[in-house]
Amino acid sequence: MTSRGTPSRFLRSVLQNGVGRYVCQLKRISIIFSKKAQSSLGARDFIEEGVVDYANKNPGTVIYVSPQPCRVPKIVAEYLNGNVREETITSKTSQQISELLTKLTNQSGLEIIRIRKPIHTDSPSIQGLWHPFTNRPPSIGPIRPQKPDSQ
Amino acid sequence: MLATMAYAGLWRTCKMLISRHPVLSPAAIRTHSSASGDLMPWTSLSRPPWPEQPSPFSAEEERSRHAAVVSTVNQRIKLRDFGRLFAVVHFAGRQWKVTGEDLILIENHIEAECGERIRMEKVLLVGAEDFTLIGRPLLGKELVRVEATVIEKTESWPKVHMRFWKRHRFQRKRIIIQPQTVLRINSVEMAPRLT
Repeated sequence: MTSRGTPSRFLRSVLQNGVGRYVCQLKRISIIFSKKAQSSLGARDFIEEGVVDYANKNPGTVIYVSPQPCRVPKIVAEYLNGNVREETITSKTSQQISELLTKLTNQSGLEIIRIRKPIHTDSPSIQGLWHPFTNRPPSIGPIRPQKPDSQ
Repeated sequence: MLATMAYAGLWRTCKMLISRHPVLSPAAIRTHSSASGDLMPWTSLSRPPWPEQPSPFSAEEERSRHAAVVSTVNQRIKLRDFGRLFAVVHFAGRQWKVTGEDLILIENHIEAECGERIRMEKVLLVGAEDFTLIGRPLLGKELVRVEATVIEKTESWPKVHMRFWKRHRFQRKRIIIQPQTVLRINSVEMAPRLT
């Protein structure tokens, strides 16, 4: 809908990720697919060829592969902050599924809604906030605008 | 603070040109005369609207004051007497005011993987609590170092782009999803060596 009708949040990271070490936010991936259906063909191809490489590249993520009798093959991704994202991979090729997995790995688990500001600081002011008496010499008596001498 | 010798030369020539006509009132300068040899035509924005007040100090005193300020700032930087530093950095077509440990959202894809450190080279300004260094337009790379880490590479929320003309039966709807990158600024450092 519109940004006013949908929820929004501020830009943040999970537990100050990046200040010290960077931690991959993806905790667990479950690939649910069927052994016989045609919609899971890409999933089966991916599991044959790409899953082991992906698992070796991301040692911090656990991958569960569960063949079940299901109509719609899915990838369920769980993140360190507890959010769960489900993506359907019906009739996708193995290449598309691996791209989807890289996208899920690079995300943190925060919701994909409108982000209000593209910045976040914990120390917004270093030289002090401006107030009307900053950089103003002290004066006795009322303060009047200067008369223009020559215009 | 002069970043390079080229900019220094240009600033000094401009200053010489401006100070060649100190006491001429604007009425005496005609717009179409090139006899005065001004570089730019005279407009309403050529001088500020407040009356020009000559400084109460002589040129010698001004120069000595400036030298004192520069030496104090140099001393502070050599002794690393500053606390938290902020910097104005030009990145991804925008300028950001940046400190350590703060987050930035870029609305495009960056050629770096998650977890990689990036150095931002176009630094326009660096400030501490008591002094600021302003680049013309950039500060030197051996003077400031701004480092960031790529934290997250996601996509934006699905934005609706709709066009509608009333009474013309025209409407188009499109969902726009842009790639986004989140950077965490790790540190803003200043070197003790200054030209």
